[in-house]
Amino acid sequence: MNGLKILIIIPAYNEQACISRVINWVKAEIPCADILLVNDGSTDNTSSIARSHGVMVVDLPFNLGIGGAMQTGYLYAYRNGYDIAIQIDADGQHDPAFVHRLISPILKGEYDMTIGSRYLQASSYKSSASRRLGMLFFSFLVSLITGKRVTDTTSGFRAVNRRVIELFANQYPADYPEVDVLVRLHRNGFKFREIPVEMNSRQGGASSITPARSVYYMAKVSLALLVDLVRPR
Amino acid sequence: MINIYTLSIAFSIIFLLVVIELVRRERLHERYSLLWIIFALIIVGLSVSRSLIENMAEFLGIKYAPSVLFLLGFLYLLIYSLHITTVLSRHADRIMRLAQEISLLQQKLESKGAQTDDVVR
Repeated sequence: MNGLKILIIIPAYNEQACISRVINWVKAEIPCADILLVNDGSTDNTSSIARSHGVMVVDLPFNLGIGGAMQTGYLYAYRNGYDIAIQIDADGQHDPAFVHRLISPILKGEYDMTIGSRYLQASSYKSSASRRLGMLFFSFLVSLITGKRVTDTTSGFRAVNRRVIELFANQYPADYPEVDVLVRLHRNGFKFREIPVEMNSRQGGASSITPARSVYYMAKVSLALLVDLVRPR
Repeated sequence: MINIYTLSIAFSIIFLLVVIELVRRERLHERYSLLWIIFALIIVGLSVSRSLIENMAEFLGIKYAPSVLFLLGFLYLLIYSLHITTVLSRHADRIMRLAQEISLLQQKLESKGAQTDDVVR
C-alpha cells in the first residue's frame, strides 16, 4: 500500500480458541501488512498456534495486562520503522475488512488515529444494559474533556500513524488504556476520529469482565482522565 | 522503672541497631535506611526529653502526653508507606519495560536465527 510499512498488532492472552481464525482472516483481508502477535504470558497454546501460521510472535515472560502488551507492539513498530500500526483484538470481535476504512484518513494525513466504533451507526452489536451505561458515561466524560463526540471510547480497534506510534512507544497507560489514550492524545494536540464498524460477539475464549472489575474499571479510568488533565504535557 | 518513655527509648535504640545491622549486611539499601534512622533518632530524642514532649502535648491540646509519640509514629508510618508505594510504582514501570525489552530481543534473536538457518540450508 503506497510502499508504506503497516503493522497489525494483535495482543493475545489465552486465545487459542480463536487465534487461528483471526490470523487467517487478517492475512486474507490485509495481505500487504506484517502481523505481530504479542503473547501476554498465555498459559495455553496461543503462541505456538500463531507461530505455526508464520506470523511474528513476541512472547512476554509474564502477563503485563493489555496496556503493557500493546506498548510492546508499539515499541516493535517504532524501532522497525513502521508508518502505520493497527491494533486488533485476538478474540475475533473486530472484522479486519474494516481496516482499509480505518487507515484511509491516516494515509491522507487527515488524522493521527482512527477508532472503529460499533455505536456510530445502527449496528447489530448487542451489549448488556450496564455495559451500555458505562459506555455512555465514558462517552460523556471524553466529550466533555476533548470537546469531540466519541461514541465507542473503549474500542480496541484502532489505527495510528508514525507520530502516535512514537508517543505510545514512550508512554502508554498500563491498564485500561483505551479511554485514557483519547484524552492524552487530545492534550498533546493529536487528531482522531471514529469510523463506523461492525463488531462480532467474541468468537471463543472468555471475557475478562466481571461486575467487581467493572466498578474498578469505571473508578480507575475516571481517575486516570482527571489525572491526565493536570499532567504536564 | 518501666513506662512508655523507657519502653520507647529501648525500642527505638534496638530498632536503630537492627536498621544499621541490615544496612551493614547489605539487606537494606542506605537510601531506604536513611528515613528509618532519622525516625528512630527522633523517637529517642523525644523519649529522653520528657519536657519537650509534654510541651508539645500542651501546645497541641493533647491531654495524655505520650499520645504525641503515637501520633508522630502514626504520621511517620503513613508518609513512609506512601514513599514505599512510589518506589513500588517506579519498580513496576521498570519491570514492565524490562519484560518488553527481553521479549523484543528474544523475537529479534529468533528471526535472526531463522535467517541464518535458511542460509545454511
